[in-house]
Amino acid sequence: MGKTFWESFKEAGFSRREFLKFATYITGLMGLAPSMVPQVVEALEKKEKPVAIWLHGLECTGCTESFIRSNAPYATDLIIDVISLEYDETLPAASGIMYEQNGKMVRRGLIGHLDKIVEEYKGKYILLYEGGVPLGNDGRYCIVAGRPYVEDVVELAKHAAALISVGTCSSWGGIQAARPNPTHSVPVSDVVKKPIIKIPGCPPIPEVITGTILHIALFGIPPLDDQGRPKQFYGNRIHDTCYRRPFFNAGQFVEKPDDDAAKKGWCLYKIGCRGPTTYASCGNLRWFGGISYPIQSGAPCIGCADKNFWDKGPFFDRLKGIVLPNVEINADKVGVAAAGVTAAALAAHAVAAGIRHMNKKDDEH
Amino acid sequence: MAKRVVVDPVTRIEGHLRLEVVVDENTHTVKDAISSATMWRGIEVILQGRDPRDAWAFAQRICGVCTTIHALASVRAVEDALDIQIPKNANYIRNIMLGTLYVHDHVVHFYHLHALDWVSPVEALKADPVKTAELQNYVLKKYGKIAEFGKDYTGLKAYPRRFPQATVAYFKDVQFKIKKIVESGQLGIFAPADWWDHPDYKKLPPEVHLMAIAHYLEMLDLQREFVIPHVVFGGKNPHPHYLVGGMNCSISMDDGNAPVNAARLGLVQTSVELQLDAVNYFYLIDLLAIADIYLNKHNWFYGGGLAKERVLDFGEFPDEPYKDFSKTGDYWNKILYHANGVVHNFKEGVEKAKYEPFNKDSLQYIAEYVQHSFYHYREGDGKALHPWMGETIPAPEDVPPTPWKFLDPSKKYSYAKTPVYKGLTHEVGPLARYIVTYVAVKQGHVKPTFVDEMVVKQIDMVSEMLGLPPEKWMLSTVGRTVARGLEAQLGANMSSYFLKKLYDNIKAGDTQVANNEKFDPSTWGSGIKKGVGMTAAPRGALSHWIVIDGITIKNYQAIVPSTWNVAPRIKNEHGEQRAAYEAAMLDTEVKVVKEPLEILRTIHSFDPCLACATHIYNTKGEEITSFNVNSACAV
Repeated sequence: MGKTFWESFKEAGFSRREFLKFATYITGLMGLAPSMVPQVVEALEKKEKPVAIWLHGLECTGCTESFIRSNAPYATDLIIDVISLEYDETLPAASGIMYEQNGKMVRRGLIGHLDKIVEEYKGKYILLYEGGVPLGNDGRYCIVAGRPYVEDVVELAKHAAALISVGTCSSWGGIQAARPNPTHSVPVSDVVKKPIIKIPGCPPIPEVITGTILHIALFGIPPLDDQGRPKQFYGNRIHDTCYRRPFFNAGQFVEKPDDDAAKKGWCLYKIGCRGPTTYASCGNLRWFGGISYPIQSGAPCIGCADKNFWDKGPFFDRLKGIVLPNVEINADKVGVAAAGVTAAALAAHAVAAGIRHMNKKDDEH
Repeated sequence: MAKRVVVDPVTRIEGHLRLEVVVDENTHTVKDAISSATMWRGIEVILQGRDPRDAWAFAQRICGVCTTIHALASVRAVEDALDIQIPKNANYIRNIMLGTLYVHDHVVHFYHLHALDWVSPVEALKADPVKTAELQNYVLKKYGKIAEFGKDYTGLKAYPRRFPQATVAYFKDVQFKIKKIVESGQLGIFAPADWWDHPDYKKLPPEVHLMAIAHYLEMLDLQREFVIPHVVFGGKNPHPHYLVGGMNCSISMDDGNAPVNAARLGLVQTSVELQLDAVNYFYLIDLLAIADIYLNKHNWFYGGGLAKERVLDFGEFPDEPYKDFSKTGDYWNKILYHANGVVHNFKEGVEKAKYEPFNKDSLQYIAEYVQHSFYHYREGDGKALHPWMGETIPAPEDVPPTPWKFLDPSKKYSYAKTPVYKGLTHEVGPLARYIVTYVAVKQGHVKPTFVDEMVVKQIDMVSEMLGLPPEKWMLSTVGRTVARGLEAQLGANMSSYFLKKLYDNIKAGDTQVANNEKFDPSTWGSGIKKGVGMTAAPRGALSHWIVIDGITIKNYQAIVPSTWNVAPRIKNEHGEQRAAYEAAMLDTEVKVVKEPLEILRTIHSFDPCLACATHIYNTKGEEITSFNVNSACAV
């Protein structure tokens, strides 16, 4: 059945040297020390191509679009050489087909294939979710192949080897779950009681999606924080790695879009930037191989990887409870306490910091 | 005898779409066809009560494939409501981003969402790499003339940097790789293996399959580079950032930290050059090769449907900043792409077609029905309501219990409403825009701009290459797909044209990208402010309607292209009418009932995008406001 990566490489006519080069390259990509290269090589030699199933609920397909924007690794490498994407609704050639035979509905085409794959790879497949899960009206706000989406979400999770929530919708509920949540949408983790790797972001950075999948394919589950997010991609606040951080520290702020400070690339905190509370790799990894991220393009971060960020607006309102530059030491404490793992801890510290500074009006800064 | 088959989920689209067709197995004709949007998210109701300056971010999440278009429509609507005119640079940058979107969206549609309806990796294995290399040279020669319309306005593009490889070794290696995938049994996105047994995959020679599959892979890697302008100007893609009043990306030639300076513009320049190469030398060539064989060798003219009768669009690409849409209608004085109009009866040819322009005075004629949609109107479901007076009251009890076997088209069967213009359904999309522009120019209704002239010349050249009159080839599944490709070239030209204007304007000393006079909501005053933002979205005519009460959104609605096309049927004083998907399916032949590939090909030619079925109502199902509220998109 599945071939190992090394076998695939050999058959494709690549040399051992090229294979080792690839292994070294992806070791770096995953943020692992060079000393890990031999283990990466071993993993590539022994592991079969894992089967992946990618489900789509209430979503905009932006996460899939982000996935195909990856170039390290390229999405083509990933779907052809690293995993075998046996079910998805965006890229596959086949569609689901149903017709009646002897009074029953026959499932053919892509959904017939899905039934077969799930049986054949029981307990072995990687299950990816994109989109929120609507529970309102008995789940009938999202119907796939004649069934409520939530039924597939729960059923397919039972025999999955690893579960990944791609994007903010499947991780936190996302936009449809924003107030007043008319479809009663929830994150996958509300209906599936198994450990789920969460890759939030609206959408997540391309290489965060592919990097996580690659990690699973090669090494298994990556180290996660207590929210289920890979530490290598969600260990820092954007604020901590932001190239504009020195301007924050120096108290140099943009007051209005396109003012003189905006032309100088000063800090966007005062026009609502969510960098100080958002855990994501925008500051270090950036987008498209380091070209930019919203802040670099002059736009205050809206915190799209953050839980319930949609209901934390207006986005131009300044974040409350962030310790400002003239008391930089306290701001750092907040960062250190929270950077370890928990956003809950951050919230607590932020509240505490907020209380400490209640005497100071934000406008003073 | 007639057999009924369901296609669900329809893949290679955005969102969730279900199709049902009843096919006569003897004649292969489609006797009935149902198109149903099977998802609803409620983004418009979620927008109520929020800051209008944030609306773009919410609206943008309607779709991540045509990402940015809903953000653009949204900021335009808010600016219309608040009387904000954006600076020149912001207009140019938004147009570069839109041109970029045309290229990206159309290229990805053709290669990754549509190509596998025409070509197969299994057939590619039968190709002779030597002949494939010859074929690549042949098609470049035969259709290469089309590239002359793709222009570098900046004058900085040194040479055709990306060009198709026509070497035997290349095609041999690609074929070897495909062989390994097929033999491994793990077909991944090409599974299941028996999908490729359909006889239509024999319509093209194996070499065309190999060439197209090779380009499928190349474009999958390359498409990311087309959207780099979004990353520079908007910080990311999908979902780059927008700003009411202009753009966030301040320009300064004094500072390396500035979002836009010469180095950053260099990134845009390179990407725009790539857009031109990819469209001129890959996309249009592959497209015309396949179209020529399907039309001229196999006489495959199916799928025209509603386009034969009626098409509609709003027009696009304001050359300079305009005042507004809904007050003076100045938008329509400034646009370069005069696709704003309605054309009836193009099937009789360009002389006999009936044209009418679309402008400010046309807004009153848009309305929506819910006769077969999962919603109710208080005064009964028979009549259509204008968007400003519309309502959206859901009918959860009318969504059939699951599991679904077949939908009943005599009842409600879709989350999409049915938009009409003057009581009639219309097809929208690139084909509609090409028909409107062509007729408008040929019949002398508009003073053609250089963009309009390009559209006419493209159509005339393709007609000559195919040896067919426009009404013959355009009004088909193939024509819809070709029009999209031609529009990608228009998009690349717009990227380049407005980049040049941006350079010139910066050179003239203007670096302003945002009008921030009304950034502070306290400057807006109290009371109700209404606005509309229209755009020629990649999939067709798009409009966002907003009502601002004081400083918050009272009402928001989006009437989305795919809603026009995916909509369920209606009956009114003009008789029973279908929207575009159903009409096109009825106009398609189906050879193998259990694998209706032709239906997928025809529906994919519209580039379906279903995620926007977003009607407004509150959780109790009560009408939230009597003023405006509906919106449909289902797509």
